[in-house]
Amino acid sequence: MPGLIRNELMKIFKRPGSLIMIAILILLVTVAGTFIGIQASKGAVPDNSEWRHGLEMENNRLKRQLEDTKEFGNERDIYYIEQQIAINEYRLKHDISINKDYSMWDFVNGNLPFIDVAGMFTIIIAAGIVAGEFNWGTIKLLLIRPRSRSKILMAKYLSVLIFALVNLVVLLVFSTILGALLFGVPEEAPVHLLYYNGKVIEQSMPVYLLVSYLLYSIHMIMLATMSFMISAIFRSSSIAIGVSLFLMFTGVQITDLLAEKYDWAKYSLFANTNLIQYFEGYPMVEGMTLPFSVIMLLIYFGLFQFLAHYIFRKRDITA
Amino acid sequence: MPPASPLSWKAGRTFMFLYLLACVFWIYSGCSEGICSGCTECGESPMSIAVEIHNVTKRIKDKTIIDKISFEVYRGEVFGFLGPNGAGKTTTIRMMVGLMSITEGDIKICGKSIKHDFEEAVSRVGAIVENPEMYQFLSGYDNLLHFARMSPGVNKEKIAEAVELVGLTDRIKDRVKTYSLGMRQRLGLAQCLLHDPEVLILDEPTNGFDPAGIREIRDHIRMLAKKKNMAVIVSSHLLSEMEMMCDRFGIIQKGKLIDIQSVHDSATDSEKVYEFDIDSVEKASLILKTAFPHLEWKNAENGIFVRAAREDIPLLVKRFSGEDINIFGVKEVTKTLEERFLEATNGRGALKNARFDPQ
Repeated sequence: MPGLIRNELMKIFKRPGSLIMIAILILLVTVAGTFIGIQASKGAVPDNSEWRHGLEMENNRLKRQLEDTKEFGNERDIYYIEQQIAINEYRLKHDISINKDYSMWDFVNGNLPFIDVAGMFTIIIAAGIVAGEFNWGTIKLLLIRPRSRSKILMAKYLSVLIFALVNLVVLLVFSTILGALLFGVPEEAPVHLLYYNGKVIEQSMPVYLLVSYLLYSIHMIMLATMSFMISAIFRSSSIAIGVSLFLMFTGVQITDLLAEKYDWAKYSLFANTNLIQYFEGYPMVEGMTLPFSVIMLLIYFGLFQFLAHYIFRKRDITA
Repeated sequence: MPPASPLSWKAGRTFMFLYLLACVFWIYSGCSEGICSGCTECGESPMSIAVEIHNVTKRIKDKTIIDKISFEVYRGEVFGFLGPNGAGKTTTIRMMVGLMSITEGDIKICGKSIKHDFEEAVSRVGAIVENPEMYQFLSGYDNLLHFARMSPGVNKEKIAEAVELVGLTDRIKDRVKTYSLGMRQRLGLAQCLLHDPEVLILDEPTNGFDPAGIREIRDHIRMLAKKKNMAVIVSSHLLSEMEMMCDRFGIIQKGKLIDIQSVHDSATDSEKVYEFDIDSVEKASLILKTAFPHLEWKNAENGIFVRAAREDIPLLVKRFSGEDINIFGVKEVTKTLEERFLEATNGRGALKNARFDPQ
């Protein structure tokens, strides 16, 4: 198995395309850093000594708003207002100022959406990893070795995961280094305030960022798995890329629209890929819980893998 | 300060679960990886059966593509596989290496079924199926490394040996993209010799070679069959090539194996065709009609073709010269593989097409 994975990684990384993808990721982070760097140096945050007063005023306003909202009853809005009030109160109580300079931590946090770019690249790699062998005609030489088709397919999937991991690590590490160079590391790591089960919890920034990156990646991993399955079934990388990228950027919105009307929207893959919703916000469909989403994700994952393996193993190779 | 944040704890539990799942997968896949590399089951005697094809049928939907084919290939021989386009040559070869499933029947390689014991059976096979398509963006060496990692017990020395054998040492570090067709064929040959296979399956092995290259590859193939006692299965449309390379050949048409012949057993017919180069065809035909009514004959460009036994020849010569016919030459017309192939596939007689011209 290690030999098979080394083979797949060699085929991924010895193509210029894959290296360009990682270069683009680095370039995007650099461009983001440069822009923020220019803005941050010009419009430095003024030291607001009256921040306590400001938060008190905001809370009074929010409380009034909360009463109004409760009458018309949109639970999600109520939840968000309550969250804001709780966090503000926690700040006042524990004297955690909202005044802080833009630092490396904010930069790393701000680069979280770039995971979608990494996801896009992973989808492209996943789409090509099986279909490519058919296009190149190398599938014939690949499958006449003393290795079962399942093992070859599994090695290919694990290599896609490794490629995704490399992308994530590059994004995280490069963001951290560039952030530290451009914006500096504060002496005391700031805390992240999390509103969970009606309580506010202090969380260390590195842990929060690491968990955020991992949770955010689930979306891209599921779509890459889907792309991999389509690639193995249809032997066409363009179908796999097209469908997966389309769903990557529209799936959540479509599910969101469906969720307004139909309860079954919670069984959609895209209602469940965002696990951050259970920690930082309100679930897309009422009644969804973390275990429910994890089980749904495992079912989808199992289904994708089963279909890919089943069809790949039975296929007559005529390419 | 709360002791542990539920976010990291809950997430940690989720990831631990996924991690364990991955571990189970990994162990499962690792356990079944043990592959026997020795091949003691394959008899070492020179003429033992290497490939046994038994009543193989391939149906796709309701269409029968291969219909109950059976034959054996022995160690140390080169077996040619002939057939017109679309007859099922490639399908049969693909079934032999497990690229296509077998509807009925079985194929055994060194006694191991390709159907039920795929990894064991295929580890004894080296093959090029149609064109040797390699990874264009990798160097020749990386391509070989790639395939070497997929067979147990192939080390760097074996790769170097294979490269040396096919004469690619100078260009092996270049990308395959820059190779000529002949070089790709060589790389394809190197690729299937890496793991010292006992059965070699080559589809169109001389495609893309210049005449010197063709000769070289032919010598390689014959050498591998004789010295390493391999069974070699070759398919080609170049019949003259096949004639020089093969010991036996099977002819397949419309999914059926219609004939298996040995290249050197044309002597099975006691009567052969002789060409008489003479000046007076009319006289000769009259003599043949009256004096040799049992002989089959036909006019040729400069004389006459006669199907006759060896002992008839002196009688004919005496008779002709006695009748004042000038004889410039008498020669045996041997059936080429081409003629035998056409004879088998089309039922057209060799006599009618004694000088078959492919163009």
